Amino acid sequence: MPVLRLPKFGSPVKYAYITGRVRAMKTKLVPAEMYARMMNMDMSEIARYLEETQYKDEIDALSKDYSGVELIEHATFANLAKTFRKLEEVSIDEPSFLILEYLRRWDVWNIKTLLRGKFYGATDTEIVKHLVPAGELSSERLNELAKKESITDIISAFDGTDYSSALAQYDGKNLASLENALDKLYYFRMELAVGGTLSVGGGLLLKYVRREVDIRNLITLFRMNKAGVDAAVILENLIPGGKLHGELSRMAGQPFGEFLRGLEGYPFWSSISDIASADLDAVSRIEARLRAYLIRYAWALSNYHPLSILPVLGYMVSKETEVSNIRKIVRGKEAGLPAELIEEQVVVA
Amino acid sequence: MAVVADAGTLYGLLAVGAGLATGLAGIGAGMGEQGIGAAVVGVVAEEPGFLGKGLFLMLLPETLIIFGLAVSLILMFAWTPFSGIVTP
Repeated sequence: MPVLRLPKFGSPVKYAYITGRVRAMKTKLVPAEMYARMMNMDMSEIARYLEETQYKDEIDALSKDYSGVELIEHATFANLAKTFRKLEEVSIDEPSFLILEYLRRWDVWNIKTLLRGKFYGATDTEIVKHLVPAGELSSERLNELAKKESITDIISAFDGTDYSSALAQYDGKNLASLENALDKLYYFRMELAVGGTLSVGGGLLLKYVRREVDIRNLITLFRMNKAGVDAAVILENLIPGGKLHGELSRMAGQPFGEFLRGLEGYPFWSSISDIASADLDAVSRIEARLRAYLIRYAWALSNYHPLSILPVLGYMVSKETEVSNIRKIVRGKEAGLPAELIEEQVVVA
Repeated sequence: MAVVADAGTLYGLLAVGAGLATGLAGIGAGMGEQGIGAAVVGVVAEEPGFLGKGLFLMLLPETLIIFGLAVSLILMFAWTPFSGIVTP
């Protein structure tokens, strides 16, 4: 696995351009109060509103092929991919390396989408629609992969890459273990590539990623402990590498009330304390709060280190959240879900 | 013990001092401006309307050079080099 060694003391000046740029890009994100207004709009109104924002080019380009929910969904994904590619292209040296390392999560997402699509017998055009070429794999390469006949063909196409060890776990019956292995690989690789360096920027990225792993594990714990899943099964699903890994592992399989009491005093507790109770009805509300906490955490860190990868990271997390919020709203409205339910799922930092 | 220096050497040292005052101030301002300039270009790439404000911020460190230049001018012209010569 090729790992780039970064210089020990990266000059913060090399971050000046990219941080200036993302701070300007941040002002163009959809403001939080718009989500509530979008709840009351119909599909064409939402599309028209998005046309006035940064999504204009994508809505214009895709409106001849799609309409309604499909249009918004594809336009937001296309814009996400375009924005992230732009970030990668306009940065050099250390920022570029760290951004790519973060964006590999979209490679993992794409590989998962490809495998799931093939597993359930979707056509290649259907699969391509849901790919987000924001990572290292280009859209041409992804299209090529989507055209492969079967899952095993796709897996063999990744022979010799980092992903081959995780993909080798495919047993022909289910994808869950494979997907878990891909997630673990992503975080493992990140730790290896970024954590091995002594650069200040890499350390900060890793600090955020460790917190993110903790939050992901916490969400898994909330879901599985609530459902009363066996501790051994939960432990299999936890991603190693988080800062609180040991403490969270001990919480696996605990009765829900006891689990909640154990969480008191952690830094994320204040953001969920008012809704986390033993008679909690939907874990998705907790999930939305925890994701909002993660965005706030990324931006809070970036205030301590204004010339570092953190503002870029904060922007990427905010942008991902924006796209998923818009998708939640349009999909929820299309399915006729009540507004309160959609509102609970929307992440507002 | 009295310090003996001829007028030419003293004037030469003054000129070196004056050069250092402006030169170092320029280097310092340049180091300050590199980050600001890069950030301003980044912002202007996204928001062209920021150019005026950005240029203003970028030129702030430039004021330091004026201090350096003022010191240089004082050294060269306002202070006569022959006044300080101590004769034996």
